[in-house]
Amino acid sequence: MTVADAVILFAALYASIGVGFAMLFVARGVGRVDPVARSAGVGFRLVILPGAAVLWPVLLRLWWRSSRRAPA
Amino acid sequence: MSVGYRAVQWSRPKRLYDACAAGAMLAYLALFVGAGKLLWTGQRSISDEVLLIRATGSGALAMLHVLLVIGPLARLTPRALPLLFNRRHLGVMTFALAALHGTLVVGYYHGFGAVNPIRSLLVNNTRFDSLRAFPFELLGFAALLVMFVMAATSHDFWLKNLGAAAWKRLHMLVYPAYALLVGHVALGAVQSPRAWPAAAALAAGAACVTGFHLAAGWRSRGQDRAAPVADGWLDAGPAAEIPLDRARLVCAPGGGERIAVFRHAGGISAVTNVCAHQGGPLGEGRVIDGCITCPWHGWQYRPEDGCAPPPFKEKIPTHQVRIVAGRVRIDPRPLPPGTATPPARETSGA
Repeated sequence: MTVADAVILFAALYASIGVGFAMLFVARGVGRVDPVARSAGVGFRLVILPGAAVLWPVLLRLWWRSSRRAPA
Repeated sequence: MSVGYRAVQWSRPKRLYDACAAGAMLAYLALFVGAGKLLWTGQRSISDEVLLIRATGSGALAMLHVLLVIGPLARLTPRALPLLFNRRHLGVMTFALAALHGTLVVGYYHGFGAVNPIRSLLVNNTRFDSLRAFPFELLGFAALLVMFVMAATSHDFWLKNLGAAAWKRLHMLVYPAYALLVGHVALGAVQSPRAWPAAAALAAGAACVTGFHLAAGWRSRGQDRAAPVADGWLDAGPAAEIPLDRARLVCAPGGGERIAVFRHAGGISAVTNVCAHQGGPLGEGRVIDGCITCPWHGWQYRPEDGCAPPPFKEKIPTHQVRIVAGRVRIDPRPLPPGTATPPARETSGA
């Protein structure tokens, strides 16, 4: 495997996980992380989707923290 | 300022701003294509695809120069503040044009082979040791990725949830992206004997960006002179010399954030100079409707407690103020954000 192949494979893997996570996040997670976003519309959720796909490790951490803080 | 999220926080001035920016962008593309059709004829003629690649690439780079100059220009003259007001939308437009350029390049030069176009872009040229054959396209690709991250995180949701400092650091990546694009264009020009006008325009643009940043930095340096200290309090000068509804900036010895000292109807109040939104210079704003108003995006705070008016919840640190023999004295230690401190009145101290 060449360096280029490894870069492409890593990017594809990262992006695939990111897109899957982002769809779940904008549907369910965003309101947990930021209560202001609970009543936000579809347009807002679509606008933050690309960023959620890129920064999914950061959002995963925030979602994890917010779920631990949430009342049982 | 908003209490809820919307896809795009448009207002009438923002729509006007976006319409002007989009109009200017389309006019540039039309002019470039028209001029290109007239100039590049005969043996120098180029295909429509290459003409579009040049138009979109040069247009995106020109817009990036404007973006980079707006910040320092607004520090040099308040008349440039309207340009700063909606800079994020201009940034997203710049990315969109750069993405169109990248898509055209990948499609035209790498899209017709058996190899995956992105793989072709990465492996087609690996002459990293040669200045005259350097794979300059990769520099542009890297810059485009950085610009994508910035465009994708331009919504206020990211500013709030990443935190102002982290968001600002992320968006300061515009400077490495610009450096990559300078390399992209300069190394591309080295490989094309007729590309000297592009190289010359880039040199002029880079000189312009550098010049404005140096001028704004020089001006800020003048504001960073530490105020004299009396009994541990900073002397901000005579109260009467502070213009009504405006601020004087003072600096504590040994650095730290600047303090904006406002004179308003209620007396003299002091708050941090840093807006909670994007770090805008509050001291360059003014008091409107009883609230300190940031010159960058209009975020507002009450002078007496540093709190945004309801229903907003943002808070900034305040400082204790007193007036001694007509001179304003400021406690350099910031109070926690949102702490109420009564404004000092010219008759309150002696």
